[in-house]
Amino acid sequence: MDLMLYPIVLPIAVGLLCLAMPRRVKGIVERTALIVSITIFGLTVFLFSQKPLHWMWDANRFLRLDNLSGFVLLAVGLFGFLIVLYSIVFMRDKIYSNIYYAYLLCTIGIASGIVLANDLVLLAVFWGLSGLTLYLMIGIAGAGASAAAKKALVIVGGADSLMILGIAIVWFLMGSFTIDRISLPVVGLLPVIAFLCLAIAAFAKVGAMPFHSWIPETAEKSSIAVTAFLPASLDKLLGIYLLARITMDLFIMDKTLGLLLMIVGSLTIVAAVMMALVQNDLKRLLGYLVVAGAGYMVLGLGTGTPAGIAGGLFYLLNSAIWTACLFLSAGAVEDRANTTDLERLGGWGPVMPITFVVCLVSGLAISGIPPFNGFVSKWMIYQGLIELGRGGDGLWFVWLVAAMFGSALTLACIIRLIHATFLGQVARMPDEVRDANSEVSPSMWLPMIVLAGLCVVFGVFAYAVPLKHLIIPAVPGVSYLGFWSPGLATLLIVVGVLAGVVIYFVGRASNVKESEAFIGGELLREGMRVSGVDFYRTIRDFGLFGNAYKGAERSLFDIYDLGGRFLFYFVQGLRRIHSGILPTYLSWMLVGFTVLLFVFMG
Amino acid sequence: MLKSVFYFVIFPGFLFTAVVGLLVSWIDRKVTARVQWRVGPPWWQNFADFVKLLGKETIIPQGTSRFHFITPPLLSISAITLVSTLLWVMLINPHKSFLGDLIVVVYLLMMPAMAVVMGGAASGNPLASMGASREMKLVLGYELPFVLALIVPIIKTDTIRLGEMIRFQAEDGVVIGSWSGIIAFLVAIVCMQAKLTLVPFDIPEAETEIMSGPYIEYSGPALAMFKLTRAMMLFVLPVFLVLVFWGGFGQGSFWSVLLGILKYVVLLVVIVLIRNTNPRLRIDQAMRFFWGLVTGVATLAIILALIGA
Repeated sequence: MDLMLYPIVLPIAVGLLCLAMPRRVKGIVERTALIVSITIFGLTVFLFSQKPLHWMWDANRFLRLDNLSGFVLLAVGLFGFLIVLYSIVFMRDKIYSNIYYAYLLCTIGIASGIVLANDLVLLAVFWGLSGLTLYLMIGIAGAGASAAAKKALVIVGGADSLMILGIAIVWFLMGSFTIDRISLPVVGLLPVIAFLCLAIAAFAKVGAMPFHSWIPETAEKSSIAVTAFLPASLDKLLGIYLLARITMDLFIMDKTLGLLLMIVGSLTIVAAVMMALVQNDLKRLLGYLVVAGAGYMVLGLGTGTPAGIAGGLFYLLNSAIWTACLFLSAGAVEDRANTTDLERLGGWGPVMPITFVVCLVSGLAISGIPPFNGFVSKWMIYQGLIELGRGGDGLWFVWLVAAMFGSALTLACIIRLIHATFLGQVARMPDEVRDANSEVSPSMWLPMIVLAGLCVVFGVFAYAVPLKHLIIPAVPGVSYLGFWSPGLATLLIVVGVLAGVVIYFVGRASNVKESEAFIGGELLREGMRVSGVDFYRTIRDFGLFGNAYKGAERSLFDIYDLGGRFLFYFVQGLRRIHSGILPTYLSWMLVGFTVLLFVFMG
Repeated sequence: MLKSVFYFVIFPGFLFTAVVGLLVSWIDRKVTARVQWRVGPPWWQNFADFVKLLGKETIIPQGTSRFHFITPPLLSISAITLVSTLLWVMLINPHKSFLGDLIVVVYLLMMPAMAVVMGGAASGNPLASMGASREMKLVLGYELPFVLALIVPIIKTDTIRLGEMIRFQAEDGVVIGSWSGIIAFLVAIVCMQAKLTLVPFDIPEAETEIMSGPYIEYSGPALAMFKLTRAMMLFVLPVFLVLVFWGGFGQGSFWSVLLGILKYVVLLVVIVLIRNTNPRLRIDQAMRFFWGLVTGVATLAIILALIGA
């Protein structure tokens, strides 16, 4: 068997085997999952080093590994392994853990299938299967999550059917399913429809607006490990991979469609972060940040300039890293505090130092603060937008401001998250937790540290490591990116901090005294705290925003609810016909027979 | 490498910026005092304050982590030093500019405010939290019009390299030589006032109301760092605006350098005047002001710049 088949077949086979295992052998299943995921990760690294590869079947190139699919496959392998490692402890006392690992392994295999597929039908099959495992994995968390799972299935599955339509149109026009043989100019009605169908499938997967609503719902209701794995990292990778594939390979883009992508991207960024700003649940807040991240990538790909596309892809890799990291640290907090309600959290920083630092690093990375990786990828997207402006696009500054302001808003969300969870005034905390050093176990913080470390390495050595080996080979046309060397600036900041430490010691900072918080001579009582809920109340109370938020709370912008309402309205008519009276039905049948008779006899 | 460290620590980085910053804050204090019919402090007062704070003991509120409480002031001072180094290296030698340094500077200028927020949040004091929340909202308020205002010089000079901005303005006239440039400059001045958290935007500190907000628990060297950062910002921010909108400080001849210093002094006077003639706003008023009027005016400036005015 060809080596390229292993990352697809092996995890699916083992996953199905795990499904059949009795609950008693949980330990074996856990270990098997860990071993398989490490193997797959190693295999993806090996395959990456061997690219380009392809696998023929019956004179058709069925599977292909090129520069674009190479780094996505690598990321799939890495995230699969890290999530399994994290889950070993996180999922230890859940009764459904066997099914969980089974689904998880299957998902890794299916995702590899999507990335490697060079045939549109094969792609569509794997795509559909990934929607199915998404549904199953979200629903695993129990009754509360089933509504969220249904929502995800309806939105992603609905978009999936559009994808099949798009593929059918492509086949109708080009007579081929083989991706690397197709190159369709997007001119005329049918190609545009085909492009939109495929783009919508990608949008639904990554959660670009208006197909976003399943992600915050999933984040809030489902298990954190599932969210960190699927909507936060894997679905992002797959969706943007598809979008990059269709914009770069399958179709020859024109300006109008690029404009459409940029509108979707900018709207997603600003609206999603504004929603994240006022969420009161840690997981839901992160869910909206995931949605906003999708906006940046769509925006970057929409520019159509090499720098913008490279920026979008780099952002993809980075965002998978930091959102997974944020979710994993949220999971660690949930594991200790038994809640993710921002109102009831607070003061966990000194108790969970590793989680706090990891969360802070990935939070600063997502906000695009130099020298982390977020800054570099955002900077590349900005660069792409400015190049676009030079090329004569009159609206470039709108996208630029949306992206830059969006990143300020993201920072605001992260600050609120950090304040409400790790800093600020201590909320109700179990006594046994307060006294002990209550960090989570190594198998949980190890994946988090790896991811946070990647945030730093990909930022400081952006050009030398990820861009050079992963991103730039995948984007044709990026020959040279005039580049800021974040290394020196980082070094200088470190020098600055060290100098500060010296000044501290000169100034007797070792001479430290502790005292109670001073609030102007008043007594500090139990309830006197600024919780995460009130942090941005001012914004919520603004007239214009207030109405928008109220609308969002009644899910006026949720395509799922809107579709549902429309459907029920439509069904009302049918319902009226169903009176339940037998003679009425019989007379309808009679009418029907008469019509049929006319049609076939006449 | 060693040269960079020298730039960073001595000139034009930390030492230079700190000394000039403390001196210009003295001007600010002195003028304010004169406006209020007081005598005002002698020129070395800020240096004396700084040294005295260094000698004081550090008091840390109970139940907070030392590390989280002590690091933000250091980060903020490093960030502002880095900005100053970048700006001055480019002002002295525009060829050193790299692609997108404008964006780097804009991000780094946000860091001191972030440090204040983190420090305030780490104090575990409700008043500090309140101040941190206000500071963050203020950042959100001014960052939108600030970015919009910076778009105008980008359109005018067609570059995001600060060095090329200087060269372009030296050859083809300064950005504020046009209507759009003037409007954007005014917007940027208002945003600068808020970035400095000076009256009428001293909402996060609001001494009479929440007792210095985020700074309330800080004492000794840590407080000295924060104070020094603010003094340095009073120097760095106007320099940044002069560079981007007003053609920089000129090179070579004595007169062009003097003219550059004059440009800075004009901005300083404007800051001091605004601060002495206005009452403090509430945070919701400030945000409404920035997201409404100021953003509108900044958008107008961009439209004007796009049609070439």
